[in-house]
Amino acid sequence: MNDKLVIAGREFDSRLLIGTGKFASCETMAGAIEKSGTEIVTVALRRVNIADENDDMLAAIDRSKYLLLPNTSGARNADEAVRLARLSRAATGINWLKLEVTPDPYYLLPDPVETLKAAEILVKEGFVVLPYINADPILSKKLQDVGTATVMPLASPIGSNQGLKTRASLEIIIEQSNVPVVVDAGLGLPSHAAEAMEIGADAVLVNTAIAGAAEPAQMAVAFKLAVQAGRMARLSGPGATGKLASASSPLTGFLRDD
Amino acid sequence: MEVLKVNGAEKEFPQGVPGTLAKLLDELKVESAMVAAEIDGQIIERGKFAQTPLRSGQSIELVRFVPGG
Repeated sequence: MNDKLVIAGREFDSRLLIGTGKFASCETMAGAIEKSGTEIVTVALRRVNIADENDDMLAAIDRSKYLLLPNTSGARNADEAVRLARLSRAATGINWLKLEVTPDPYYLLPDPVETLKAAEILVKEGFVVLPYINADPILSKKLQDVGTATVMPLASPIGSNQGLKTRASLEIIIEQSNVPVVVDAGLGLPSHAAEAMEIGADAVLVNTAIAGAAEPAQMAVAFKLAVQAGRMARLSGPGATGKLASASSPLTGFLRDD
Repeated sequence: MEVLKVNGAEKEFPQGVPGTLAKLLDELKVESAMVAAEIDGQIIERGKFAQTPLRSGQSIELVRFVPGG
């Protein structure tokens, strides 16, 4: 089935993006990434830990197999996000970016105003911007209009595992979007990921649900299968829902005389 | 005493600050692949570390990729 995910003109077979945070070890992380079948993994940017010579997780990620997607986590406003983006590109030459502006430490909800402001600047500077946003259809449109490569609306707060709390708004975003919609944050179970794909998301991004599982590599497989199943279901054209029953067996030829 | 502020912390260099950014990374045992650097708020392009001179009193930020979602 030739059903590629296309972002900024680049094709991918996998519709499951993986966040690399919170794994117990580099080995666990590398194993889960491999089992997930992903082609895109996110990373963050932080100060080098000068005291620790072994402070380098990148060695565990095979960059010939996976596209690194740096995020601007930690940014509290557009200026900080832009600074992180430029540093990221200066370090690696990578111009893809998950734009994340999350000033609130309790819910880590993205600031819509600062995100739009940063997106506009970064798109003009030639970045491929994948913005993390709340499930706001109007904001989603505005970001597409300034030229972001996708929109990445949240299902529920980062790391909360609550699933598709924003389902109704996601459906609107999906209906109105001209760029791929990647549901990112709060997907806690493979069934949530399948649900996101069934309602028409182009991809999902999962981190905590895999890293925090007792068996991350196995959970990564479960998510891989769920994303494939959800996508296949979407393409298969699910039937309508109804309030009343609609019989599955014939309504004639009953073994009775009335 | 020559000093540099590195990642928010003052560091003293009794023998004088390293001549270049690349030499600083060597002295700190920081692998320069995948490291981004700012000197006094200016980003230094990768590949220019060996041509970037340092002066006492500068504020240097060294960042790298870490796991994150």
